[in-house]
Amino acid sequence: MSEAMSAPVAIGTVGLLVVSGGFVVSVADRWVGAAVAGRSGSWRRTLAAPIAGAALSIVTSRTTTERPDGPGWALAPALLAALAALALAMLPLAPGIAPANPETGFVVFSAAIAFVMIAVFLHGWSPNAVLPLHGAYRYGAQALSFQIPFLLAMLATTLPAESLSLVRIVDAQAPLWNVVRQPLGLPLYLVAGLAVTFWGPLNLPDGHDLAGGTSAEDAGIARLLWAGARTAMLVAVAAMGASAFLGGYQGPVLPGPVWVIVKTLLLLAIIVAVGHLFARIRIGQFVLVAWVALVPLALLNVFISGAFLL
Amino acid sequence: MRSLLRRLAAGAPTPVYAIAGAGARRGVQDLRLVDALQLVDTPRAANVLLVAGGIAPEHAEALARVHDALPHPRATVQWATDAAGLKIPGSIPVEASSDPVSAVRSVFAELILGTRPTEEPILPDEAPASWRGVGPYGQGGTGMTGGAPYGRPMAEVGPDRDGLRLDVLPTWLGPFFAPLPAGLVLDLRVAGDVLLEATVASVATGATGLDAGTTPFARALHQAVPITELELERARDHLRWLSDALRTQGLPALGLRALRLARVVEPGMAAEVRRFAGIVARTGAYRWSLPPARGRLAAVLDGLALGPVSRAAGHAQDARLDDPAYLALGFEPILAAGDDAASRWRLRLEEAARSLDLAARAGGAHTTVTGVVESPRGRLAIGDAPTQRAIAVLPELLHGLEWGDAVASLVSLDLDLDECWSATTLHPEAAA
Repeated sequence: MSEAMSAPVAIGTVGLLVVSGGFVVSVADRWVGAAVAGRSGSWRRTLAAPIAGAALSIVTSRTTTERPDGPGWALAPALLAALAALALAMLPLAPGIAPANPETGFVVFSAAIAFVMIAVFLHGWSPNAVLPLHGAYRYGAQALSFQIPFLLAMLATTLPAESLSLVRIVDAQAPLWNVVRQPLGLPLYLVAGLAVTFWGPLNLPDGHDLAGGTSAEDAGIARLLWAGARTAMLVAVAAMGASAFLGGYQGPVLPGPVWVIVKTLLLLAIIVAVGHLFARIRIGQFVLVAWVALVPLALLNVFISGAFLL
Repeated sequence: MRSLLRRLAAGAPTPVYAIAGAGARRGVQDLRLVDALQLVDTPRAANVLLVAGGIAPEHAEALARVHDALPHPRATVQWATDAAGLKIPGSIPVEASSDPVSAVRSVFAELILGTRPTEEPILPDEAPASWRGVGPYGQGGTGMTGGAPYGRPMAEVGPDRDGLRLDVLPTWLGPFFAPLPAGLVLDLRVAGDVLLEATVASVATGATGLDAGTTPFARALHQAVPITELELERARDHLRWLSDALRTQGLPALGLRALRLARVVEPGMAAEVRRFAGIVARTGAYRWSLPPARGRLAAVLDGLALGPVSRAAGHAQDARLDDPAYLALGFEPILAAGDDAASRWRLRLEEAARSLDLAARAGGAHTTVTGVVESPRGRLAIGDAPTQRAIAVLPELLHGLEWGDAVASLVSLDLDLDECWSATTLHPEAAA
């Protein structure tokens, strides 16, 4: 059933998803920010801003700190971007088609998410400076708390599919989307997904109170790459949420890939809006909520989903 | 290709790291509303350093460090620095009376298009001290650890708080850390993400800058001022504080909206402020963002007259109660009984709304000159500003807080060094 894309097509598809997704998130974030701030920016400027900003980052030099871990610092954004690309490579785009379509797509996606912690920690640790290191440790606490509920919420979607293949998870939603079948699933996934991508109220490692946290010492291209990798991860989490809970490529009239894009954009819109409307959560409170509420709810979700299949 | 990239880059909003020195707090805050500029949190993200107002001579080296942290190409614009003030070599001076935006934009365009050379570092690029060990990695030598690594003290072992003994890192914050007022330096001892100890290392006092003594509160110290004007200014001041506070809690766009509101509110617009307070409440700031009460600040605040901070903790201290003109208008202070940051936020927002009401019904009433004024931060007298008293309680306030909670608590105090300067340095004639 699984159609494998040829390697160049698969790499091109993932690259296109990363770049166009990053651009869309950047524009949407500026547009929503301007709307919340109560000013009307021109469309032309809003669309041009990410490109001009990227050009500025390229012509601006990198800087260094006292005794940094140079290789680690350079590798951190590359690792985060690679993990986002790996996750996007598992994305089912049409019946039986994903850039890479192993029978164990769910496991590969889970592994990519688990490694995000390494990328963010490395990024904060390498500059050898107080504020980035602080952000790194914060993300450690955050990651240990979100990983279990995030993956449990996702795991529940493999039960009706009776498979770890993401294409089959989407196929199994033909009669009923998981967002209805497992009403707890998508909210849990989105809350934990905000934590994975350290976005909005869960932007603790790179927050304003740490003057940018793990990216406080980044300049020029390093800053651009980190921001790009971060938005790519956001796109990956939203796209996978759309596939696991909103039926992915399933939908009337329009072709499958278009539905994937529409549903991904919907989740991205929710995430971007949440980012501008909710205040930063205290790290202690997030850890508490994750372990006391999210983990039990995610387990409950798995048990209920399993019980319906008996 | 290279020139296309540069032309594209020159069209980007200018990333500016702005330092609001003496007298420039408001001027710098207003720059956030300029679309062509983007005020960033760290000098690493900026191409232009904007030094506004006066910087204390004792912070010259810290300023040079910030300057050298900017990536190339970089330039410095100095706005409203007086003739005797600290200068950065090669910087572009802008008069206090003119707008710095066009200067920043043109210097940015020149930098990016390559017609202006980038600024060289001020300090030599070398370690602040050498590692005193003898081996290739600094190991060896006398003592347990073989010396002081690059002049920094080794980590100590901290007390056992929760079964986990963490190293204690001595570090510092300021004088140009974005969420704090420029000029305040805190010495910290940090274990993990907890501040074991915070002490005030220095507060800039020797700076000279724009005349911040023109606020209605400073004028009310020695002349009668219309209550309408004073209360409108109080509401605006509270909303300006809210703008910064929202930014620190991760809501910069909503913060801009608060700043816009601060600039347009007029007497009688209390409903608008209350509507905005509703939006703030719905962000979850009070529920999950601000540090909870610890029940120990109320006693420390006794007698300090820190305005909203004191009143939020249940101390009915308000200099307006001693002014017959206010009493004739039926003025009553708002009180709350929680010594946490959330109650300070709520109280300032409600006070902003009531000040606008009061401003609307004050008519032509003027304040009575008593030498004491209730500023938005508390009891203000010549040589005695509320921020000075607030700084004295910082060690007690910050002790044992997680980093994010500590920053939120600091911001909730609304420290304003400009007010200190205006109370101490700018009115010697009034003191005499």
